[in-house]
Amino acid sequence: MPSELFVVGLNWRTAPVSVREKLAFHDEELEACLTALVSQELLEEVVILSTCNRVEIYGCTSKSSPASAVSQATSQVRAFFGQSRSYPAEKLADVLYEHQERDAVRHIFQVAAALDSMVVGESQILGQLKAAYGAASQYNTIGVMLGRCMERAFGVAKRVRTETGISRGAANVSSVAVELAKRVFGDLSGKNVLVVGAGKMSALAARHLRADGAAQICVTNRSPAKAEALAEEIDGIARPWEELEHEISKADVIITSTGAREPVLTKKLMKRAMKMRRYKSCFVMDIAVPRDVEVAVGKIEGVYLFDMDDLERLVAENLKERSREAEAASALVESEVIGFDTWMRQQQVVPTIRALREHFHDVAMAEVDRSLAGIQKTQDPAQQEEMVRRLGRSIANKLLHTPMNALKQDGEVELLAKATHQLFSLSTNADEDSDTSAAVSEVVVGTQKKA
Amino acid sequence: MPVTEIVTTAPSPAFYLAGAAYIAASVFYLSSLGPIPAWVKRAARLAVVCAFIAHGIDIGWRGVEHVHPGTSVREALGFLSWIFVGSYLLVARREGLFVLGTFVAPLALVVLAAARLSPSGQAVAGLTSLGRLHIASATIGLAILLLATVVSTIYLMQQRNLKHKNFDGVLFKASASLETLELLSKRLIAIGFPIFTVSMILGAIWAAQLREGFDRVEWPISAITWLTYGSLVVGRQLGGVRGRKAALLTLVGFLSALLVLAIYLVRRAGGM
Repeated sequence: MPSELFVVGLNWRTAPVSVREKLAFHDEELEACLTALVSQELLEEVVILSTCNRVEIYGCTSKSSPASAVSQATSQVRAFFGQSRSYPAEKLADVLYEHQERDAVRHIFQVAAALDSMVVGESQILGQLKAAYGAASQYNTIGVMLGRCMERAFGVAKRVRTETGISRGAANVSSVAVELAKRVFGDLSGKNVLVVGAGKMSALAARHLRADGAAQICVTNRSPAKAEALAEEIDGIARPWEELEHEISKADVIITSTGAREPVLTKKLMKRAMKMRRYKSCFVMDIAVPRDVEVAVGKIEGVYLFDMDDLERLVAENLKERSREAEAASALVESEVIGFDTWMRQQQVVPTIRALREHFHDVAMAEVDRSLAGIQKTQDPAQQEEMVRRLGRSIANKLLHTPMNALKQDGEVELLAKATHQLFSLSTNADEDSDTSAAVSEVVVGTQKKA
Repeated sequence: MPVTEIVTTAPSPAFYLAGAAYIAASVFYLSSLGPIPAWVKRAARLAVVCAFIAHGIDIGWRGVEHVHPGTSVREALGFLSWIFVGSYLLVARREGLFVLGTFVAPLALVVLAAARLSPSGQAVAGLTSLGRLHIASATIGLAILLLATVVSTIYLMQQRNLKHKNFDGVLFKASASLETLELLSKRLIAIGFPIFTVSMILGAIWAAQLREGFDRVEWPISAITWLTYGSLVVGRQLGGVRGRKAALLTLVGFLSALLVLAIYLVRRAGGM
């Protein structure tokens, strides 16, 4: 029975984070777990993927395993999950899913292409899958089948990313804010950022801006201590609240998230600040609820104002677009699954091809060896020619003997005849040909005599 | 200016090739605003390069036939379209800005068609080398200023998208940032405006040589064009004029230049 691929695991759809964290594998456990799994009788190759959103074990049964091996192997993996994670089997059954053969390949390809991710098209999963593959390679628990499947999965992920728009557009509020700021400034390097208030969201957005090259991040808050703390956290500079107007006039990007009940950035204040900066573009991101910036500020020349609703709307639109692109990506994955399935089926007939080749070679060589002495003894070309002809007939007879007998058996005659036609590209009326019938009888009789 | 002689020649095969390539480029560029495979973008770039080369060959062919780009309005418009596309290719090579091609390719096609359909083929009386130089430099200047106008138009559209939070606007995702567009427009005007200024000086000398007065309506409008661009350059330098205001001034400047061209065309059509 050939090797078969399978997947057993759980993800964000089937299990809450409280379960996922219990069943997760830590990096330091990987060697022991991979080795333990691969030492099981039916398992030949194993990869463990453990991320915050999914825990999956990819496996491949050994070549020598029986027909039902894949079902037994998945049961073994399920049992391993329960034992190694000390998790009750009955609860495990509710959260674990499994895929076999073609479905398993499809699943691995979809995971790599981030089609099965919580945020469709996210880029992290590919790196995590590569790390899982790297660990399996390091501990020698991966072979030809699973290795080839994983490598193809990386190729599929690359194709999906380049040929579809699945990764287009930011998918969270902070990234969207950076994306919008880039629509105004292009490059954020050298831009000054002002954080007004000390909320967690503004810290996150400021970090994103810093990662994109923002030069200086100033933090101002009514409470100087909170401003100092946030400035230290995001590697910025704390500024006194009294200098707000001056700081606004210097800032290219302003993030506001105070807890004030009334707007902090009024139209009057912003107009004065914009005049001071000679109406150079200013990107204002108001992520406070209630809002910190008066709506009228957005009408001032050079000011680009966005609030939480705008950012969330853009996130939703980007995700909607990604979902649309996911359809094209799924079609692409499906074509790759078919390609891989063909390769797998080819791999399954490799031992048969090898055995057939060896058998033909052995028969032919045995007959050649037997005839060679006689051919070398005589100098007469006519005799030599006759001997070579006899050798040819002898090889053909020997090779045809077993298939002929099989064809004459009462069993699956029609099926075998059809297969023979296909394998040797025989014409359809060959069976009705009297010469052929005679030849068949001759072969059978000849081989029987020799036997 | 009175006309004296017929100066025209049949288009070369390269002209038709250029026309076809401009059509193909326009189709590819316009379709590339949506989600399309990468090869369409490559095809668009290739088509516009082919169009530019074929168009250049046609202009060269006409030169061999003694039809100078400064000979008539028809030739000048064709030349303007070619310089316009050439400037775009230089910009695209340096800055990327694929979205610009979406405007440039169809516009180049329109200008080329206008050149073919314009009532020309007649040379201006007293068309000296100075006159030709005036027309040629004005054409080059206008072509660059046209590109700056296109950039400013994209700027205004993108700015509107951002101000009105129109995230699903066609240009929103395809366009470059406001700062990039503004900088590009500024650079193009910094190149186009001096050339345009030189062409105006050459035109004034040529008119004086022909003993023509400066009472024609083109002159005050040309002066308005020059003053608009001049104030834009100075305003930008002093720091007060930027963003939407600068983009609008670019558009106003080009519209007045276009008015000069239209008056000139009408005058030529009427044989005045």
